[in-house]
Amino acid sequence: MNVSTTKLLGRRQLLLSTRATIRREPYRCFSCSIRHAQQTTPPPGEPGNRTTHFGFETVAEAMKEKKVATVFSSVASSYDTMNDLMSLGIHRLWKDHFVRNLNPGSNPLTSRSPTASGWNILDIAGGTGDIAFRMLDHASTLNHDAHTRVTVADINPDMLAEGRKRALNTPYARTPRLDFVEANAEHLDMIPDASIDLYTVAFGIRNFTDKDAALREAFRVLKPGGVFACLEFSKVNSSLFDAVYKRWSFGAIPLIGQLVAGDRDSYQYLVESIEKFPSQTEFRDMIQRAGFLVPGQGWEDLTGGIAAIHKGVKPVEGKS
Amino acid sequence: MATSTRLARTLTRSSLRSLSKPPTTRRYHAADSPPPPPFSPAESAILSAALAHVPANGFTSTSLRLGARDAGYLDASTNLFPRGAFDLVNYYLVTQRLALKDSVQFPAESAGGGARIGVGKKVRTLALARLRANAEVGVVGRWGEALALMAQPTLLPASLAELARLADEMWFLAGDTAVDASWYTKRASLATIYSATEVFMTQDQSTGFKDTERFLDARLEDGMRVGGFLGGVGEWVGYTGHSLVNVLRSKGVRI
Repeated sequence: MNVSTTKLLGRRQLLLSTRATIRREPYRCFSCSIRHAQQTTPPPGEPGNRTTHFGFETVAEAMKEKKVATVFSSVASSYDTMNDLMSLGIHRLWKDHFVRNLNPGSNPLTSRSPTASGWNILDIAGGTGDIAFRMLDHASTLNHDAHTRVTVADINPDMLAEGRKRALNTPYARTPRLDFVEANAEHLDMIPDASIDLYTVAFGIRNFTDKDAALREAFRVLKPGGVFACLEFSKVNSSLFDAVYKRWSFGAIPLIGQLVAGDRDSYQYLVESIEKFPSQTEFRDMIQRAGFLVPGQGWEDLTGGIAAIHKGVKPVEGKS
Repeated sequence: MATSTRLARTLTRSSLRSLSKPPTTRRYHAADSPPPPPFSPAESAILSAALAHVPANGFTSTSLRLGARDAGYLDASTNLFPRGAFDLVNYYLVTQRLALKDSVQFPAESAGGGARIGVGKKVRTLALARLRANAEVGVVGRWGEALALMAQPTLLPASLAELARLADEMWFLAGDTAVDASWYTKRASLATIYSATEVFMTQDQSTGFKDTERFLDARLEDGMRVGGFLGGVGEWVGYTGHSLVNVLRSKGVRI
């Protein structure tokens, strides 16, 4: 027994020293995501000249998806604890506000048509179900709507597994009201055209390789009059507050990631990707270019612009 | 080099903005060009349909949802209105303000002959026409709800701005051309009187809103009396001041 342990330790040392050449089983540990990234090679036959950014790095477009997948596979289990620590719990307030403002669900007492069948909601990048459960709770308890359905789509099977596990603690597990699919937001082939009332993406669109393609796909799957709603980190308005916030995000968040989740690089990517995301006005213009009507100025700042809610409404043909 | 690229970027950004969002408000009156439409076609379609539900459902999100459905949109489409029911109130206020210039017509002054209508009389007619519109559209029974929404602290600035625009519109349509300090006092006093009358109207049970009319006349008279009194006081202060200065000068004081 003792001998075997020593042997194992020795083997591990050997592995660490020669990690560049020897592949090993993926497991979650400090800086495991960067090792993953080093090992992955771009698929053959891809034109390697189209690039995008992964945090502050510039990588080939074909690589970003894999790199993001590695990040989220490694953070899936500690996702909630980390969110609480990084945002000091404020992310819950943002998500609650996001859902309350969207007001999902149709009250059967005030909707005159007897065939009303609730809203068909698609929650993109909602693997852990944070938004989906809130939507269903809001529809059921506030609008007395027992028909509204949420389809949770995520590109990452680990995040989906986390969501499925959590769904067991809600009343919606194993009901037709909640569904999980593994999908890339840029190619939602399993979702038919004009079938969705509300498309939400909370803290996800930042990681997409081609945001414009995702917006076009959102426009395709939404019914005329359907709503695109996005909760995402954005740019802080006040320069003084911005200095404090930058200090926190670049100083504290990777450190918390290292101590709690044992993974500094994933959280370094997180803060860098926030920095790279377009500002409120730029993203508003992207939404408009995809064909949406934007309400008012097009976005709502949360906590001084740390996060922002962007909305767009798909116009009804011949009515606008 | 850096400056020129920055300038170019600013220019493209500003041109993009002007392309994407046409101006919806104008801060002045222009007699020869119509103002830009204040609402986009989709917003107008939903809000005007929603207004038809106000007598039954009030200024609520329910009216908005029913209106959206009537206009061919979904329940979810009410997310087009970030301020919810207040956007419905705002739509009503703006459209009624803009309708005022078509609903009230004064005979052209150059036609002459008949008695010339004073500016005060015209303002009274305009205020009364605007109040009667509340009854004609059928929202007067629900106006208390609208006033409650308008009085919410976060919405109060927008409501007061709209009230100021209404007072300005009335004085403009009445043909007031004052460019002195009375420009402000006129608008302030009319806004006060109008909002007081609007509150009175929500409780008015008389036929044809006769009591509201009497209330408005009494307040306008008060306003004139107060204005006349303040004018008198000002005249007296000015005269006494001048006299005092002259008396002192005659005594050899260098003023």
